[in-house]
Amino acid sequence: MTAIRRFFRTYRPFTRAGMQELVAYRANFICFLIGEIMSCFIMYFVWKAVFLSSDGETFMGFTMEDMVVYLFISFLTGYLTYSDGAFAVGEEIVDGSIAMRMIKPCSFDMCFLFHELGSRIVSAAMIFVPITAGVEVYRWYITGAVQFRPLNFLFYILSLLLAYMISFYFNVCYGFLAFFFKNLWGTGLMKETIVDFLSGATIPLAFMPAGLAAVLNVLPFASLSYTPVMIYMGMYSGREIAWRMALQAVWMLLMLLLSKLIWRQAVSHLCVQGG
Amino acid sequence: MENMIIADNLRKEFKKVIKEPGLKGSLKALFKPEKQIVKAVDGISFSVRRGEILGFLGPNGAGKSTVIKMLTGILVPTAGECRINGRIPQKDRKSYVREIGVVFGQRTQLWWDLALRETYAVLKEIYEVPDDRYRERMAFLNEVLELDSFITSPVRTLSLGQRMRADIAASLLHSPKVLFLDEPTIGLDVVVKENIRNAIRTINEQEGTTVILTTHDLSDIELLCERIVMIDKGKKVFDGALSALKHDYGAIRTFLFELYHADDIERLCYHERFRLSDDELTIDDRRPHIAVKFNADRVSTEDIVAYTLSTVHVKDMEIRDVEIEEIIRRIYRREVEV
Repeated sequence: MTAIRRFFRTYRPFTRAGMQELVAYRANFICFLIGEIMSCFIMYFVWKAVFLSSDGETFMGFTMEDMVVYLFISFLTGYLTYSDGAFAVGEEIVDGSIAMRMIKPCSFDMCFLFHELGSRIVSAAMIFVPITAGVEVYRWYITGAVQFRPLNFLFYILSLLLAYMISFYFNVCYGFLAFFFKNLWGTGLMKETIVDFLSGATIPLAFMPAGLAAVLNVLPFASLSYTPVMIYMGMYSGREIAWRMALQAVWMLLMLLLSKLIWRQAVSHLCVQGG
Repeated sequence: MENMIIADNLRKEFKKVIKEPGLKGSLKALFKPEKQIVKAVDGISFSVRRGEILGFLGPNGAGKSTVIKMLTGILVPTAGECRINGRIPQKDRKSYVREIGVVFGQRTQLWWDLALRETYAVLKEIYEVPDDRYRERMAFLNEVLELDSFITSPVRTLSLGQRMRADIAASLLHSPKVLFLDEPTIGLDVVVKENIRNAIRTINEQEGTTVILTTHDLSDIELLCERIVMIDKGKKVFDGALSALKHDYGAIRTFLFELYHADDIERLCYHERFRLSDDELTIDDRRPHIAVKFNADRVSTEDIVAYTLSTVHVKDMEIRDVEIEEIIRRIYRREVEV
């Protein structure tokens, strides 16, 4: 117990620091948020056009109501699981500033993680309730009945946390690519587009050809966004929820191990010259 | 006294890819890289006693920083071993770094966007400093490093001198047993340098902190260190007391004579009179002054003065003290010749 308390005592300051930095650059944060919400509405109108032009009430098994929920919850999930905290780890190794982390009695991934959690918590506090409340009011307005299921919501939160951890360790691994590419801006754009597509954030995986969807469903990308969103929407049975979340946990552990492995290799070959 | 730091035959080699110029060279380096091994540190051994301030000296690229990085656990030595307070830095890094404080003059360990006070609050938690100890410590560091005037400013707005003081305070918050300072006075003005030197001395005296200091600034060394280790090209070239260094390499004296008649200089033929080579005696003609730099082991001071006074009319004369710069230049030159 004391070990856990000491662990949080050690890393809590990083969370506080992350919050303060977000506040220091609040204009940046607010503009980014507005931009994201605008693109969310653009997607809404695109899908509305798709549904209006289709013959039946549903499109590929989704009603328009489902699609709206999918869009906004998947935006919320994507926004909250977004991770670039450890993005700089590779660059820090290349330019040697990683040395300043190594002289502190903390583990590097926990520093990054708790630092980023600071900004994630502030973001969540600002958008979580408005978006879920908005979605539920919309569902109630369209269907005339309360659709909110507390149990699904609880599993959604758990699945969201797992998704965040996968995203975090995935990006730690990705950050090490800076060794080879020196600058990750271009590859970062590419990575995000690919991940958005493979994780179902752009188009629900259910809309894809059955074979492709089956493969994508077991890849780690589905665990990033599709799984929690489907859980929220009540698309999965109890057994499926259990199996999906187990898969998420497996991917999280694999990413964590991979990142540790790369880190160990990187540090033993570290050459900080000059400065 | 017992040894706090022991470095035993430390080596560090880096692989460097040699790239030929141009696009063709880049392609070649990508597919068939030609690698060259650079010996940054080539078998260095030394030890530091508890409570000592050791000056670590050497020209750019000598390997000073690489040694410090191995001692602080950042780099893994290719061969050899170092022990600080009986511990190997690379083993169990997290618990080892609790015992040391590190300042790299060219980088900062402070959080760029946080107010300085917040940074210390973060460090307090990381190092688990109890509340009362923290208050006491901050008061002490405030007094020694004068942090009060900028403690509420974000780190990014601090001047270099302020930032360096803040960095040193950050490295001392947890009362480390050993303090590593890598060029702590780089780029600072004289007043701030003085301030920082005093702080280092105070901490060493009051708390018995062992200090390793690398620097280019020789006055840092003269004012702080009794002992120095000098390295060049990854090898140790001198290890001993500063006074011994001055004694061993300090036989060089400089006399400056001011003459009544500038043209009298023509009549002074030191080389012919004492049969010395240019290396042992150099003359600098700055009419009406003449500077005579000579090796006191080869010719006595008395003879030089007697010869000068008997040959020409001297208006004034001055003895220049041995300068460390000169000693180091000579050590390096000797190394190059070997």
